[in-house]
Amino acid sequence: MFCAYAALQVVQSAILFVISKHFGFSTPEYKQVYSMTVAASAALRFAVIYELFKDFFRSYPLLIRPGRILLRGGTIVLLLAALGLAVLAPGNGVELLVNATNVLDRTVSILQCGLLISLLLFSRYFSLSWGSPAVGLALGLGTFASVSLAASSIRLHLGLFSVHALDIFTMATYHLCVLIWMFYLLRPERATSYVLNPLPKHDLDVWNNELQRLVQR
Amino acid sequence: MTTTIILVLISVLALACLLWLAKGRTVSANILQNPTEHMRAVDVEAFRNLVDPDEEQFLRTNLSPPEFRRIQRERLRAAVEYVSCAAQNAAIMLRVADAGRRSSDPATAEAAEKLVDNAIRLRLYASLAIPRLYLGMILPGAHISPSRIAESYEQMTRLVVLLGCLQYPTRGISAAL
Repeated sequence: MFCAYAALQVVQSAILFVISKHFGFSTPEYKQVYSMTVAASAALRFAVIYELFKDFFRSYPLLIRPGRILLRGGTIVLLLAALGLAVLAPGNGVELLVNATNVLDRTVSILQCGLLISLLLFSRYFSLSWGSPAVGLALGLGTFASVSLAASSIRLHLGLFSVHALDIFTMATYHLCVLIWMFYLLRPERATSYVLNPLPKHDLDVWNNELQRLVQR
Repeated sequence: MTTTIILVLISVLALACLLWLAKGRTVSANILQNPTEHMRAVDVEAFRNLVDPDEEQFLRTNLSPPEFRRIQRERLRAAVEYVSCAAQNAAIMLRVADAGRRSSDPATAEAAEKLVDNAIRLRLYASLAIPRLYLGMILPGAHISPSRIAESYEQMTRLVVLLGCLQYPTRGISAAL
């Protein structure tokens, strides 16, 4: 799914580049296509996050139920918060499409950021090991979602389709995320080495008793 | 304007939180290098005694109500400490067992799988028991019995021993410990 997302990003950048050259950057055509690509990217990012959840809980069958509760509960709470914000702070833009795109971007960013943080918190609480590519994907997506949240909120407040400095910052963040993904995907997995020797002294009696019981069974 | 400022601050906090969580993974990987150093002693019997309803009943009948409430709070505070230690040990064992799951030896992999399940179960019980124990501290008369933690912890310790034996068969049991 992540490959599909990466491919879409490449294709959409090419399409937007061609349209901006043909019609111009601030034309309705460009804005329409841009809005569509924002929606498509958001949908694919959700699919990647869902896949991360599925991949993570597949290794721990005992956590499937709590994980499902976390995913559903988290989605509902974050969605309610994002929708509440969309109603209470709909933005200052005059153009409906620009406003809707920014509201969508903000809502999606809140959801994705919240879900990724809950997933990482959950895995941290249970001290569960996660493959480093998955951590990299989550970190990159989360970083982009948090910056998108700030950017879309500022755009909504200003009521503008594009703020030059903000666009540069968002693009730079995206490139940083690509570097994060590349780093985690290309880095070889570290082999985990550990030693069980020695256990704390005060526990040895308990361990020995338990072992005796185990042997006598 | 206020909403925008709040959202920008939230996004900065979210980013910091993500980085902290990602960094935390490196720290826990370092713990794996020497897990026993980070494990804390947990006396299962003492914990059982602290959450034993009969013991609680005995104290209730033999102490004045204010004295009972004070003692019960102390007992539950100690029980929280025990549960936290057990949960911390479970987290370390979980990481150890997780690595053992990839073993080529089926017996080791199976023991590690069981240990993972037990450690997760203990973390789940702990996450449910600790709020209940705190509730018991606020309302010392309420009936609290998280004795499943003790059972789960005992089961888990047995599995750790088994996993150790399976991973160090040539060095003998003591070497595994």
